[in-house]
Amino acid sequence: MAVTERDVRHVAQLARLEVKDAELPSLMRHFDGILAHFHRLNELDLSEIDPFDAAAWELTPWRADEAVDAGIRDEALREAPERKGDFFRVPRILEED
Amino acid sequence: MHARDMSACDISHGVRTKRFSAEEVFDASLDRIRAFEPKIHALLSVTEERGRCTARAVDDAVQEGRDPGPLCGVPVVLKDNMTTRGAPTTCGSKILGSWKPPYDATVVRLLEEAGSVIVGKANMDEFAMGSSTEFSAFGPTANPWDTDRVPGGSSGGSAASVSAGYVPLALGSDTGGSIRQPASFCGLYGLKPTYGHVSRYGLVAFASSLDQIGVFTRYASDLALALSVIGVEDAKDMTSSRRARPEYMSQAQSDDMRGMRIGLVAELAKAPVDADVRSVFDATAKKCEQLGAEIREVSLPTVLEYGVPCYYILAPAEASSNLARFDGVRYGMSLGEDSLLDRYVETRGAGFGDEVKRRILTGTYVLSSGYYDAYYLVAQKVRRRITMEFAKAFEGLDAILLPTAPTPAFKKGEFSDDPIRMYMADIFTLPVNLAGLPGLSLNAGFSREGLPIGMQFIGPKWGDATLLRLASTLERTFGPCRCAPVEEVKGA
Repeated sequence: MAVTERDVRHVAQLARLEVKDAELPSLMRHFDGILAHFHRLNELDLSEIDPFDAAAWELTPWRADEAVDAGIRDEALREAPERKGDFFRVPRILEED
Repeated sequence: MHARDMSACDISHGVRTKRFSAEEVFDASLDRIRAFEPKIHALLSVTEERGRCTARAVDDAVQEGRDPGPLCGVPVVLKDNMTTRGAPTTCGSKILGSWKPPYDATVVRLLEEAGSVIVGKANMDEFAMGSSTEFSAFGPTANPWDTDRVPGGSSGGSAASVSAGYVPLALGSDTGGSIRQPASFCGLYGLKPTYGHVSRYGLVAFASSLDQIGVFTRYASDLALALSVIGVEDAKDMTSSRRARPEYMSQAQSDDMRGMRIGLVAELAKAPVDADVRSVFDATAKKCEQLGAEIREVSLPTVLEYGVPCYYILAPAEASSNLARFDGVRYGMSLGEDSLLDRYVETRGAGFGDEVKRRILTGTYVLSSGYYDAYYLVAQKVRRRITMEFAKAFEGLDAILLPTAPTPAFKKGEFSDDPIRMYMADIFTLPVNLAGLPGLSLNAGFSREGLPIGMQFIGPKWGDATLLRLASTLERTFGPCRCAPVEEVKGA
């Protein structure tokens, strides 16, 4: 099943990624190539395998849920492309009808 | 001995005993960088001010009779995906702009607390996605052995820095081979420790279930020294293991392999491997046997046959969510004025390079509604199978020997039209990340053209000490790794 231009545009939209028209042909070729590669996994019988067997991984250590002041608020805000006081500023979110 | 050839252990000893100062070592490192960077382009920035300040503090401590730590005055290079407070951290990408992180990565703190001097930040494939360092937004790095060739990737700048003799020690990150493969291409030791061994706090995430920080050196003893410093538990990384770490320095004294069981993978016979790599592999296996190891055959059918497609589903899936944070709002590049959606879409469209875009799109696709079961879930199952296959193999083995890469360093541009073919260069390294195991590449020979060839030892989980023992034993036969003859190197 070949990947269409529409598929690529849809995925790009989900990924919040601008894809220019000129980039589409090479991306479609890439998807066709990589998906064919992925389909080789279907040769395996995986019916007995639990994909998320937690026992296989070391237990992640727990820690107390305590707020710690890293003391870097000003330094972090200084990197903001746009700010207003102690806030990051962004363009409008809601569209006007 | 020339400063260029000194090990981290030698430098640390020399500074402590006042044979030379940390600042003199630092200046020698800068001189070498100035001389060869026009040819190599291993670094994205030089941290001269910070480095000099640390070097002077180390010298003051020595003068006052205090111990500055085990890496006393040792200059190091960091891959540019590790945060350094107040100094640019680009990840080889345009999207971070002139971002200066407000904090140091844990490894950076540990290195400096041990007396190490940070010299610069190394070039890399953008967000560590690549096997050649050609996908850096700031131009490629050259292999110091032949500047027409790539140094490997994604930690190519770190490898080239050690190979060209700028520093004896560099940090890299390894998600699918990004330390071991450049170590092979540049003729160095490259260690990817067990998953959870080294804190990743301050490492910009690529694929969180696979990423691990590790080291490049020219001496086996330096691997042990560096791992002792950075391989400690850290509450700031929730995947950092609480397990007690063994003492590593004594492993670096080993000179035999008696009692070691080393596995050779049956399926390697069918794998596409360059003839020179194959003969170095055969010679290495024979050498291990002569040194007292018992050689056994082991079958890993899923590992070599299905590791690549499995990895290239899971790693991009994780990358697509990790890289969602680059949105033009809090730091770095910011474009698009009309709406918040425009800001996301335009910033990310302009800020990410082609390979990063391909991986984000692939990852988004395999996680998207209707495809999750067909791709992501299947790959998770294959990952479990690979992990189990390794675990079973290690019931009767101490280590597995494989080539690090199918070929020596390839030419720049060789795979530029076909990224999927380049993915195959990771066939022997990326299963190790899928299973969370430690892997070590060491220089075991050269091709007929004079290019370094690395061999990889894979250990069971927390078998890092075994790998260090193997490295130091072989070092007594092969000698330590040499700097590339960068003074007379051919190429542009």
